[in-house]
Amino acid sequence: MRIQLASALAVCASLLLSGGTASADTPVTYLDNGRALFGFSVPDFWALRTGGPREIEDTELGDARAVARVMGMRPVTDDNVWMGFVSPAGVASIEGGLRYLEDIDRFLVKDPTVSETTTTRIGGLPARVIRGTGSREGRGVNFTVSVIDLPKGRVAIAVAILRDGADPAYVDDLNAVFASFRSLQ
Amino acid sequence: MTRKLIKRAALALGLGAASLTLSACDGVTVGVGYGYDPFYDSMLWNDYYHDVDVDIDIDRPDRPRPPDGRPPARPVPPIAKPPNRPPVSRPPNRPRPPVARPPAARPPIHRPAGRR
Repeated sequence: MRIQLASALAVCASLLLSGGTASADTPVTYLDNGRALFGFSVPDFWALRTGGPREIEDTELGDARAVARVMGMRPVTDDNVWMGFVSPAGVASIEGGLRYLEDIDRFLVKDPTVSETTTTRIGGLPARVIRGTGSREGRGVNFTVSVIDLPKGRVAIAVAILRDGADPAYVDDLNAVFASFRSLQ
Repeated sequence: MTRKLIKRAALALGLGAASLTLSACDGVTVGVGYGYDPFYDSMLWNDYYHDVDVDIDIDRPDRPRPPDGRPPARPVPPIAKPPNRPPVSRPPNRPRPPVARPPAARPPIHRPAGRR
């Protein structure tokens, strides 16, 4: 009995120690017109909003524009953290992705200030990562935007946002998503 | 008799109010409300395909002005479009249980813990 108790304690301790790392165990595939572009994993206890291709109409000019699928996710119990993926049609390179971002950033955050731009690899693919700060609804936000160069003339754009006051432990979750990113072409 | 009735009514009303108050505290089921999702909505809205503010993008040619007046009415499709509602995913038909179905595993009713 004594030995069993000791081994049980050891198992419990190892579980506690390993419980600190974030886990992202729900794989998700981003498809465009039936073609799988990339995949990533949603962290545990996060909610994924899948979205889909659609058209949004400008109320002033009255013509519709096509919008690619946006996948957004956030912790179920906390809206200070947000992460989204999109693969816009017609954007084929990292440079094109950066131009696309120039047209999207002022909707995402106000007064963005870029603090760091790095060239790296995400999921084995060349990527450009832009980190910075801005504000949204009077609150400061930290953003990390990545443009990932997918094969066959597509890019994936990942936006991760941490509002001021967000639990820094969520950074592990966000990094787990990046670590799970894979091209599926 | 009347006092008893008042007492009972007060008790019933009090209990009802208490249960309502308690259930209002049950915030777990509220969870994710997608009514307002500012970052998601912003990511949909971009000017890459459509310049609203031309001042920012100097390199690109000006967009032609749309023709004045209201756009012509859209033609009516021969088959009426179904009302715009999200696709309902029907759960797949449940497989029939096998004839020799194993007994359902039930957790044991409370058992006293073994002595250590």
